[in-house]
Amino acid sequence: MVILAFDNIAKSYGDTPALRGVSFDVHAGEIFGLLGPNGAGKSTLIRILMDIIRPDSGEVRVFGEPRRREHLDRLGYLPEERGLYTKLTVTDVMTYFGALKGLSRAEARRRSVEWLARVELPHVAGWKIDRLSKGMSQKVQIAAVLLSDPELCVLDEPTTGLDPVNVRLVQDLLLERRRHGRTTILSTHQMNQVEALCDRVAMINRGRLMVYGEVDEVRRDHSLPEVRVHARGPLPAVPAVASAIDDGEGSWRLMLADGSAPSDALATLVRAGATIDRFEPMLAPMEDIFLRVVREGH
Amino acid sequence: MWRTKGWRKIWTIATFEFLTAVRRPGYLITTFGMPLFMAGYAGIVAIPAYFASRSVREPAVYGVVDPGSVLRLQNEVRSSQSQLPEEVKRALETAGRGGSVDTGFMESSSVFRPYTSDTEARAALAERKIKGYFVVPFDYIARGVVDVYTQDTFNISAPESRNAFSSLIRERLVNGRLDELTSARVVSPLKETRRFSVTKTGQITDGGQAAGFVRIAVPLIFTVLFLMSVLMTSGYLMQGTATEKENKVVDVLLASANPDEILAGKLLGLGGAGLLQIAVWMVIVLVGGIGVVPLLMTSQIEMPWVALALAIPLFLIAFLFFGSLMLGTGSLGSNMREAQQLAMVWSLTAALPMMMMAVLLREPHGTVARVMTWLPFSAGPLIMFRASTDLDSLAWWEVVGSFAVLLLSTWLAIRVGARLFRIGLLSASRPKLAEILRQARLSS
Repeated sequence: MVILAFDNIAKSYGDTPALRGVSFDVHAGEIFGLLGPNGAGKSTLIRILMDIIRPDSGEVRVFGEPRRREHLDRLGYLPEERGLYTKLTVTDVMTYFGALKGLSRAEARRRSVEWLARVELPHVAGWKIDRLSKGMSQKVQIAAVLLSDPELCVLDEPTTGLDPVNVRLVQDLLLERRRHGRTTILSTHQMNQVEALCDRVAMINRGRLMVYGEVDEVRRDHSLPEVRVHARGPLPAVPAVASAIDDGEGSWRLMLADGSAPSDALATLVRAGATIDRFEPMLAPMEDIFLRVVREGH
Repeated sequence: MWRTKGWRKIWTIATFEFLTAVRRPGYLITTFGMPLFMAGYAGIVAIPAYFASRSVREPAVYGVVDPGSVLRLQNEVRSSQSQLPEEVKRALETAGRGGSVDTGFMESSSVFRPYTSDTEARAALAERKIKGYFVVPFDYIARGVVDVYTQDTFNISAPESRNAFSSLIRERLVNGRLDELTSARVVSPLKETRRFSVTKTGQITDGGQAAGFVRIAVPLIFTVLFLMSVLMTSGYLMQGTATEKENKVVDVLLASANPDEILAGKLLGLGGAGLLQIAVWMVIVLVGGIGVVPLLMTSQIEMPWVALALAIPLFLIAFLFFGSLMLGTGSLGSNMREAQQLAMVWSLTAALPMMMMAVLLREPHGTVARVMTWLPFSAGPLIMFRASTDLDSLAWWEVVGSFAVLLLSTWLAIRVGARLFRIGLLSASRPKLAEILRQARLSS
């Protein structure tokens, strides 16, 4: 089910186009990766979703209907450039943000306490924000966004600056949201997170949608014709394999010949007498795809 | 403009802003410290003034050289003058503040000491035994000319001594030549002035100085409070917005509420904090000057109740009008200083009635006053001023019309303020006029 649809969104700042007819959908209950280099137009797209700025043209549909201000309470947003009221206590700020999302003050306060425990910061409830470390502050902000349990949540670089333990903590929170059918749009430059968490991605560069689809499908589509093979003994030369690199200990990287599919290579190798223990098509890492898209864009 | 959910957000923002503002140390210090500061300041001013008044009440001695015996002075004589209108003195006495009449306001006195010759008086003046001396020549009766010799230093009480000497001359000239009552009237022709005002319908009302004072003071206080409220509260508003821009909380706010709601919430919350501050000051002033209440109750002074009743809605509407414009304009600045500079134009506009006060006092219902009644920038104070000075000269349609203008302008101001506010919040630096116009078109 489509929960969010961008349809031909265009936006310019003066003479500089930020988005040039971007269209894609986000499905309910998925973690969706919104990727792109700095200045690609991601933040503009997110701000349009949040109705902070208006597109020059195009339509945004949320929850099956045209975008309205009334949808705000069902949306969560953690901006990239984030901040908190430094002179207030953690609980006061979280309660305020919760109340702004339509919770009663009492409920917002109760959930603040609960969420501080979930991000392993129950002891900072009464602290003023300016007493928090950068990592603590970041977790408080994530908790402040998630405490209203938004149906659709946009997190812009939520784990930047966090240590590996806290990165895992945040990832677990996102996976838990997915289990509960909640949708998360994750804007990040950390491609390993995209591979680990995201169901589908959209990659924008210079205001244009460059890549869009399921993560595995995208990786497959952008992969070179390579397979990794674990074999006992030497590999026979077959027409389906253009070249083979011995990585040692029976591991080989095979570049397939033009027009050959991995299944062709496997079949011809077996027929030629090779003893294959493991055969896997090599998927391009998201990072490589990202770099390729960015370079091609320039 | 806003649905129920919108009002809830406005209320949430207003409550947050109000509570955040009133818990600030700066707010508490200003609210409760300002009266203490003012009391201390008044004390610092009052102490030298007290000693000055004491020294004034110690009679200033002047010499009189009267070779022609026009005044027939044998010994020193004292002349004294009261400085308060009789009705005010009466009111103060009725209110139990008679003592203050004696100690606070009263009289400066002069003592006139006869000298036999100009040489003798000049020697006394040179030795600073006297403040000056008057020489009454032989031909005084014919010419009315008196020579005055004073110290070669600045003397602030010189006019008083001349007035006192004039009184002395009148007293001495008629003494023994007229009957006692006529003498008294010659010396003091207007012992008391009773003043009455006649309305257009022929009705007689109290028209004394105190009543006139109240009629001017009420709108004046309103205007001053209004100015204070607008300037202080807009300071809080701009400070809060500048902080949110610097803290990068703005996007979170805008992802939760629209600019209209944020603006309205801030206006209500911080406006409430500003008004609470003024209310606290008023209470402290009233408690401090509790004696004024019986004075007003017993002095037959007709309070401008209609003007007072109009003050509350006018205050709120005018506050919303200026507050939204100031916040909208101020939010275009990238920091507090820029915000204040941008919003300065509204501060000056709000002060317009104060700047025009001299003209308005001369003609409270003249052309200038009538025109200003219809301008949204000045309508609030002007309605108050005109209703207070002469309610009959203020037509009902003027009140209704200027209220309508004010309400419509306030609605427009909120819309414009909200749009500027949105543009300001999204701009890291001060946007250019072309960009403001472009964004305004896009966000419409």
